[in-house]
Order: sequence, then structure tokens, then C-alpha cells
Amino acid sequence: MLRYIATRFVVWIPSVLLVMLGVYALAYYGAGDPIKLIFLRAPGDVAYNPERIEAIRESAGLNRPFLVQFGSYIWNLLHGNFGNSLSSGRSVWAMVSAAAPVSFKLALCSVILTAVVAIPLGLIAALNQNTRTDYAILGSALFLWAIPAYVAGPMLMVLLILVLPGSAVPYGWGGIFDVRILLPLFVLSFQPIALIVRQTRAAVIEVLSEDFVRTARAKGVPETMVALRHILRPVLTPVVTQLGLIMITIVNGAIFVELVFGLPGLGRLTVKALTNTDYPVILAVTLIGSFLVMISNLLVDVLYPLLDPRANDIRRSR
Amino acid sequence: MSNRNDGTGSSKPQMTRRDTLKLGLGTSVALGLFGLNARIVVAQEGQVLKVAHPAFNQDWSPLRGGGPPYRWNSAWWAAPMYFDSKGELHPYVFTSWEPAADNKTWTFKIDPKAVFSDGSKITAEDVKGSWNVSAMPNTKNQRADQVLSKVAGYADVSAGKAKEISGIAAPDEGTVVVTLADADPIFFMRLANHIAPITKASQSRGEDGEEVADWYMPDSGAVSSGPFKLTSIDLDAGKLVFEPNENFFGPKPKLARIEIDSIEDNVTATSLLKSGEYNAHTELVTSTIVQDLGTSFAEGPLIPTSQHFWFNASRAPMDDPKVRQALIMAVDREGLMKASFPDGPHKKTDQVLNSVPGADNSGFEPYPYDPEGAKKLLAESSYGGPERLPKLLFVGISGPAIEAAAQFIAEQWRQNLGITAVDMKPQQDAYAGPDQNAVQIFRDDVGTRVPDAVSYLAGSIASTSSNAQNKLGGYKNDKVDSLLAEAATKAVDDPQRVALAQEAQKAFREDWTFIPWYAQAMSRWATDKVIGIDKNLDWQVVAPWDISVA
Repeated sequence: MLRYIATRFVVWIPSVLLVMLGVYALAYYGAGDPIKLIFLRAPGDVAYNPERIEAIRESAGLNRPFLVQFGSYIWNLLHGNFGNSLSSGRSVWAMVSAAAPVSFKLALCSVILTAVVAIPLGLIAALNQNTRTDYAILGSALFLWAIPAYVAGPMLMVLLILVLPGSAVPYGWGGIFDVRILLPLFVLSFQPIALIVRQTRAAVIEVLSEDFVRTARAKGVPETMVALRHILRPVLTPVVTQLGLIMITIVNGAIFVELVFGLPGLGRLTVKALTNTDYPVILAVTLIGSFLVMISNLLVDVLYPLLDPRANDIRRSR
Repeated sequence: MSNRNDGTGSSKPQMTRRDTLKLGLGTSVALGLFGLNARIVVAQEGQVLKVAHPAFNQDWSPLRGGGPPYRWNSAWWAAPMYFDSKGELHPYVFTSWEPAADNKTWTFKIDPKAVFSDGSKITAEDVKGSWNVSAMPNTKNQRADQVLSKVAGYADVSAGKAKEISGIAAPDEGTVVVTLADADPIFFMRLANHIAPITKASQSRGEDGEEVADWYMPDSGAVSSGPFKLTSIDLDAGKLVFEPNENFFGPKPKLARIEIDSIEDNVTATSLLKSGEYNAHTELVTSTIVQDLGTSFAEGPLIPTSQHFWFNASRAPMDDPKVRQALIMAVDREGLMKASFPDGPHKKTDQVLNSVPGADNSGFEPYPYDPEGAKKLLAESSYGGPERLPKLLFVGISGPAIEAAAQFIAEQWRQNLGITAVDMKPQQDAYAGPDQNAVQIFRDDVGTRVPDAVSYLAGSIASTSSNAQNKLGGYKNDKVDSLLAEAATKAVDDPQRVALAQEAQKAFREDWTFIPWYAQAMSRWATDKVIGIDKNLDWQVVAPWDISVA
């Protein structure tokens, strides 16, 4: 297993370097000058002094050729230096290390909530296929699926602040044990829950007609045991893969929820960095995002053999 | 052993496993609901101004000369002088200012009572050091030019060629002498703002002359000079707390605390203000602000700043004067105002100048609304009509009110001229490929921190201004430039100063390069309960020590 993890890590390094080179090239050639933007994006009475801007560019090393700048960035990175934000001057490591845990905790809670709510609901719907219970669960899932976070967030916010004025304002970040986390967590989990409910239901219906399920029932195994041990276990493999993808999506892109509920996570940091063409921050969030993708995929890979022993045999045979 | 079904055994009611589960579930639901409905109340002593701030700013250095944090500079920094909401000048750190006969050398006296929050005196060396560090390119002060550009030696420091502005001298602890490169009769007025604040130079400026990173943070032991001091800051959570500066040399502040929380979403911020959770906002710009939060929330004095849509005359089709004229004449600007700020607080304007002496009596003829005339002009242009016009691209369309205005203009062009190829983006970078350098219309404001017509126009229509170079595409009208140059030499009270500026504005009008929009009101952005939060042309609270919460 350790060898497998080490191999995955070694393969990840050139991939992430290529991704970072691509992102840096896009930011460098495609977007505006980050220093000019400091002066041009502000209201009109700002002093736009080309000589001054050139002096700042020189000081920040932005007048060097593209590959030299990228090489210098990677070199500094290898020495543990993420650099400073071009727009705020703040240490990029300080910014990223504050934002990443928020996004990660939020995503983890959302994935757990999704798993706890959606998998049983999907199972119940499938076991009661084409009954009122099935229609109710599936209908609710489709309803949740249809509400985007940027609609649900502000609407619930207005409802809680103005219609139910006694409520605690779900704004800001106080950790995962703070009551304010509940609303953003639900908004964030709406669509994943709907997705997993539908996926679990479809997979369970498929498994229900398998021989081993019929055999288990013929042997007189109680229905609950059949559902939990014989049906759910093979169903979980694709569901866990999906949960891993959901985790990555939330960590890297819960932008609307972070904006509406004032959560200082990676999504908002990324948007700000892109708006300001802040190269060091853009590259740092790319690196962190890529690392999270790798870790998430690795976790899913590690979980596979526990859910389906055949996965272990396939890995050994390679 | 009792049997729950046969009625024998203990007479005490038994709780079944199912009942226990139900009770547990019920308790969990009740606790959850209670938790949701329990407003977290922290006992607070005294009056607290709770401010919703529109951005998670990562940099609150007072030396930036702009950005949302700038709007709270007067809470923690004392300016050399300041303007009140009526545009009248008041002494602050500087108690007097005297020009030499040639208006090139100015002597400023520091109030002997002026001290920082640690009780140490504000000295001439602090003033000199603060201005030097504001001028350094890496400080990235957005507006230092407005204050210091005329000081001898500033250009070298600003361009990174020197570290000390040669024109600033500190002959003694309480005197600052400034030598200008050119005569400037209104130089003293240029200092009456927070653009280049007076800091404790030994804290803000390093030995290499550059700004010290994070010097203003409470952890660094920073001192300030205003009525409040920064006592806590969490950049990641977007939270700041200011408390009274017990050594402030002015009136005692009435507030016990100012709490600033970053709330980026306008809908959320509006809801929180409505609910009373917050009582002020740093800068809330929505087209429904008056309907949402009332007239008193948004009202404020008109300041010398105005918003317009500027045409880049160097790019097609704006390079044809008839096209520009047609585009301007096809827009009903009364309707433009109704579409964007139907209930105020801003006022429709016809010209560039506003809220400065001479602005109300400039003799400027407003651009007419004449759809038929506009159609005729477009047909007579080198493009022959709407079909051959390239796509019209707007930038600076960021925010609900601005979007409403830009959409209105596009609709007027469609109805009156038949132009359908119009696109708009928040910033230029949002356009891909060659479109990025083909943008012809920039929405932006122009203005001044000095109630002076010449300064206003020098920063907006003179060929040396950033507005002329960038938004108007290198606009240069020799008549405008010469009139403004001549006006700049006249004394503040010389009627010729205003008259020449008005002439320059009239000459600019004939070039048809902008759609006038509105003169800006400096909103209170505070609920009825907040008193004494009037603001000035420097976008600052005039007297932060007077703010109170009823």
C-alpha cells in the first residue's frame, strides 16, 4: 500500500507542474497586468503614473521573461516560499493556510451529511420502487437538484434574517461546531444529496436482480441484513467515487456559498486572485487544489478494497 | 421480572425502547431549533458602531490612498487638515499654513498638542517620513500624486530613483517646510485629506526607505493618531475592532467601539442592516438602496466627484466624431437616471464639474436628447448607419445600478439608432482576444479631493490626466490644456481661476467624448440610529469623534 501511495505521489509531481505552468501561462498572457490593475481598477481620480508602475513591476520581478519568472517561483516553492500577494503584499502561505482548512472542513461535513442522508434515502427508495415512498424521495431529490446554491443561499438568508428575525444570523465562520455552519452546510449539500440519492437508488435497483441477492433471500437471511450486507456493499463503490468528486468540487469551488455566508474559504480566495491577476495566489490555490484532488482520489482508492475485495485482487495482479 | 404486555410488575410507567428513541429524536430536534433561534448576544458596554464592509480586504494599511479600507482612515488617523461636509477647511495636525510670495514654498506648523496614541508627539520628522514612504512606488499609494506631485523631488521618489523627497524639510520639531517644483496657490488644500496620512515614521518606514510590512497591526505595537485605535484585526475572517484612543488630542470619542465585519454580498448586507444587526455600511451601491433602507440611509452632501461613460476616441467607431455625437444624442439622460437611481441619492449632471466653486454657473450647454438628429448623424458618419458599426464594448459595468444604466443606454441605442451589437463586462480583462483592446466605452468616475474647479478638470480632461490617457484613449485638446495651465496659476479667490476652468470645460464639450451621468452624493450609509456620521469630499467621516448610536 505504501509503495502504491508513493508511486501516486511521484506521478502527481510532473502533472501538477504542467498544470501550474499552464495556469501561469494563461494568467501571464491572457489577463491584465496585476500592477496596472491596482491603479486602473480604482475610481477615476487615481494617479496612473506609468513610470511608477514600471518601478513596482521591476521591484516585483514582473519585467523578467515568462520562463524565468516561473522558474523562480518553482525554486522559491521548493524552498517553502509561496511568495507574497501582488495586490495585498500579504504572505500567500498565510492566506492559503487560513482558507484551505475552512473549505476542507466545510466539504468534509457536507460529504458526511450527504452520505448519511442520501445513501439510506436512495436505498429506501429503491427497496420501495414505484411506491409513494419512492416518488416522494425521488421528487424531493429532483426538487433539491433544481435549486442552485446562488438562489437557495440568499433566499434562505433573507428568510432567516427578515422573516424569522429571532434566528441567529448564519453569517461568518466559527468552525464546524458553530450553529452558523448549519445553513451553508445544507445549501452546499442540496445538490450532492440529490445526486447521491438518485445514484444509490439506480445502483440498488440493479443489484436487486443479482443472483447473490436471490440466494441470500432463499437462505432465509433477514431482509435488513440482505439490504445492508448484500445489496449496499457493492453499491457503495461507485457512490464513494462520486463522494470523492463532490468533496473536490466543494473544496475548490463553493464560491457562492462562501460569498453569501461570509465563509473565508478557498473558493473566494481563488476568485479574488483571478480578478486581481495575482499570480502567486493563483498558483498557490492551483497547487492546493491539485493536491486535494490527488489526496481525495488516493483516499477513494484506499477505500475500494474495503468495500469490494475484488479491487485488491486487480491491484495485486498489476 | 416485569412484563410490559401483561400489566403486571411495577406500577411505574415503563419507557419502551421506541419511546426512548422518540424522546431522543424530539430532544435533538428541539435543541436544533433552539440553537437556530438563539441569537448570540454578547454584553456590550457603551455605544457600538457595527459596520458591514463590502470586501475581505487583505491589506488595511492607511498608506494605500484608496480602496474600501481607506474610507475608515479618519477613524484612526488625524489628517494635516480636513474639509467638512460643506467644503470648509479646518485645521487638525497642522494649525497654520503660510505660502511664500511666489507660492512655491509653504510653511506648516504642527499643533503642539498633537500626539500619537502612545502619547508621543507628532513631529515634523514623522510628517516627512510619512510622505516619503507614501511616495515610494512599492507602497502602491493610489493617489499620492494628488497630494505630493508638485513637491520638488517627488517624481524621482515616485519613479524609484530616490528615497527622499528633496522638497520636504523639517527645520524643527513643529515646522514642516515644503518647496514645490512649480507655484501652486492651492497646495495647502491638497493636504486636507487622508491620502498620505501622518504616521509614526519610525514604525511605518524601514531603514531601506520602504514601508514596513504589517506595521499598522496591533501585534506590531503600532500607534495611530486619530480618535480611535485599531485593537484587533483578523484578515481571514474580515473582522476589525477599533476602540477609543485615550491620548487623542481632539474631542473625546462618543463611541465605545467600532466593529467592522466583511460582508461581500449586497443582499445579505442589506438584510442585516434592515434587521438592525448592523447599523452602518462602508459603501453600499445598489439601485434600490433608498427603497430598501430609506432616504436617510443613503443621503449625503454632493461631493466633487461625478460618474460618466467615457468614449475612447482613438478606437473605431468612436474615432468618427459624428458617431460619438449620435450615440450621445440618442440617450435620454433623464431616463438614464431613473433607470439607475430612481430615488437618489445622486443627482443627474450635464457636465464634468460639480460641487466646486463655479460648477453651478458654468454656462455649459447640456447635450440634447434628439433621437432624430442622432439617427441623421449616424447616417452621415463614415459608417453610414448601424449595420457597419463594430460591436460597442463597455467596461466598468460592475454592480446593479451601473448595470441598469448601461442596459438603459444600450436599449436607447437599439430603439433610436438600430444598434444591436453591444456588450458589457465588469473589467477590460473579461474580454478575450482582440476585444480586450477594442473596448470603446469606460464607465468610471472623476473628481477631486479639493473643492477647486481646476484640480477637478486637471484630473479628468487635461491630457496629462489618467482619465484622458486611459479611458479617453490619449485625449488631447490644446485649448483645454492651455486654459487649465493658465487657471492653475491664479489664486484661490481670483475669479479668473474658475472662469478659465469653465472655458476649458466648454472646449471639452465640443469634442463629444462622454455621456454625462450623475454627480455623486457622499452617502451616510448608516441607519437613522447613527448620528454624526456625515462625510466629506475625501470620502471620510468628517468628525468620527462625534459619531453616536441612539
